[in-house]
Amino acid sequence: MACRGRGGPGQPPSAALSPVSPGSLSASRTSAHNICMVSDFFYPNMGGVESHIYQLSQCLIERGHKVIVVTHAYGTRKGIRYLTNGLKVYYLPLKVMYNQSTATTLFHSLPLLRYIFVRERVTIIHSHSSFSAMAHDALFHAKTMGLQTVFTDHSLFGFADVSSVLTNKLLTVSLCDTNHIICVSFTSKENTVLRAALNPEIVSVIPNAVDPTDFTPDPFRRHDSIITVIVVSRLVYRKGTDLLSGIIPELCQKYPDLHFIIGGEGPKRIILEEVRERYQLHDRVRLLGALEHKDVRNVLVQGHIFLNTSLTEAFCMAIVEAASCGLQVVSTRVGGIPEVLPESLIILCEPSVKSLCEGLEKAIFQLRSGMLPAPEDIHNIVKTFYTWRNVAERTEKVYDRVAEEAVLPMDQRLDRLISHCGPVTGYIFALLAVFNFLFLVLLRWIIPDSIIDVAVDATGPRGTWTHQHPHSEDKVEDSGKCKTR
Amino acid sequence: MEDEQSFSDICGGRLALQRRYYSPSCREFCLSCPRLSLRSLTAVTCSVWLAAYGLFTLCENSMVLSAAIFITLVGLLGYLHFVKIDQETLLIIDSLGIQMTSSYASGKESTTFIEMSKVKDIVINEAIYMQKVIYYLCILLKDPVEPQGVSQVVPVFQVSTEPLPFPQCNPPPVLSAFPPRLFFSRGGNLCGQSM
Repeated sequence: MACRGRGGPGQPPSAALSPVSPGSLSASRTSAHNICMVSDFFYPNMGGVESHIYQLSQCLIERGHKVIVVTHAYGTRKGIRYLTNGLKVYYLPLKVMYNQSTATTLFHSLPLLRYIFVRERVTIIHSHSSFSAMAHDALFHAKTMGLQTVFTDHSLFGFADVSSVLTNKLLTVSLCDTNHIICVSFTSKENTVLRAALNPEIVSVIPNAVDPTDFTPDPFRRHDSIITVIVVSRLVYRKGTDLLSGIIPELCQKYPDLHFIIGGEGPKRIILEEVRERYQLHDRVRLLGALEHKDVRNVLVQGHIFLNTSLTEAFCMAIVEAASCGLQVVSTRVGGIPEVLPESLIILCEPSVKSLCEGLEKAIFQLRSGMLPAPEDIHNIVKTFYTWRNVAERTEKVYDRVAEEAVLPMDQRLDRLISHCGPVTGYIFALLAVFNFLFLVLLRWIIPDSIIDVAVDATGPRGTWTHQHPHSEDKVEDSGKCKTR
Repeated sequence: MEDEQSFSDICGGRLALQRRYYSPSCREFCLSCPRLSLRSLTAVTCSVWLAAYGLFTLCENSMVLSAAIFITLVGLLGYLHFVKIDQETLLIIDSLGIQMTSSYASGKESTTFIEMSKVKDIVINEAIYMQKVIYYLCILLKDPVEPQGVSQVVPVFQVSTEPLPFPQCNPPPVLSAFPPRLFFSRGGNLCGQSM
């Protein structure tokens, strides 16, 4: 019982786990992995990365893997929590520095992360988001400990400004010896490969998904006497709010029955309010402010056309959600957006006011002439495109592949760092990697792996959580005890 | 009836667990750890005195040496009297309550009694403690105002220098036998008698 659900025969020689692997290594399914998702961003914080980690974990649990999530403490939510289906979340007490990302020294998180990796018998570390310092820290420590690493990049970056240059350098260092990288679209893959100077063969593309049952059309909620355009995005420069402020007055003058509903909050909200004020459009442009994710659907179903004005986007979830609700999508042709939906469901424009207006006029014309398919039909097409089960299946293949690869031993890792990351950075990080290794040796001397508790599996092949189901007869006496709870 | 098992605590030290069954409704669990070893005592004393001697050669003030002796003595007494626990006993009597006794190395004993009507549940919980993640056993007390709430969490078995260790083995014996929510039912399971 001491060793649960290890990677099986494909297991590489892992120095971290060898002292405690007893002979009772059962012939568990070779494909079952012990996965640890690491990111600074997780619930209760809301956003794309957070829901991605949650949904992916749930689907992987469903497929019989053991999954845990490691993030930093959010306010009073610290320690260890269990979510649906026994998804275990560690909220570690690390200091938050900026924008929910933790401060990094590359070393201070090693003791705790090592303790968790050992006690949970983790075989694959899956880090998310390049903005998360904790994700990079975990990758660094995992490589020192000889564990397999996977990284998912959720965003696109530029190459020109100082912050991008620095982040790109950091990403090069972090990813040069990572086993596999996952991007959400082909554009994002190109971007990441260029930024981090990677071999494209170790980069996979697995798109995001939406839960189609959350985004169903409801044609009765919209008024067919008017045309409603929905915009749901954060009101920031990157999302093209400035373009939106140019489009609204132009089209409102042309079409007296055109209404806008804008959901979202941000620093650029003031521009939209000015436009509304100047052109006296209070009755036709509604600003809803910040929306919770569960309310998005109720806003979407009120409209006929969805407008996306993003200037950069790795994979636009918003347009998939809108199309799933049966709206005609008009969007800018930037980043990964052209890959997301087929030509028939989307009108692509250049990111300029003129081009977007033309696109919207085309959509309005199609709508009036009744050329658009019914919302229910659009929903039925879109719901087959992006499902979390499919994402989990494809991610599982990445894990299977990674599990068979060998982790670079220390000397090769140092060579890789020095040869890949430039003379100065390379040597600095090689030195840090050596220090990290020495720190790990010290920690192993203070607390040997063999005396670290093995955590009780909630999920996975031997997960206790699944034993709650009535089909497990061997737990009858337990369920008898449970009655008194 | 009595049996004895040995475990290691979270730092790898040895612990002995004795279980005594007096009657179906009365059990005693006794966790004892080895007495203060002469080796660690010598090591600590020597290091303090060596440091003091080093300081003395620097500033040539004999006060340093007497202070070192004083500190060692007071420290040792304080450690034995307030920190070092030799034995912890958990006596459970169904229908009456739970009595926890800790005996310190100096011979001091402290006893706490919790009435069974106040006990809401006994659980094994997981917590992040210093740079570790540990399991610990604790008693949840009922909130007198709100019957569903928990007013206090009382950790049991604080043996050894660590405040919240749980006798550890791979995996902990009690845990392997229980479902993931890790709840004992009140009294019943521990005393082997359903409520």
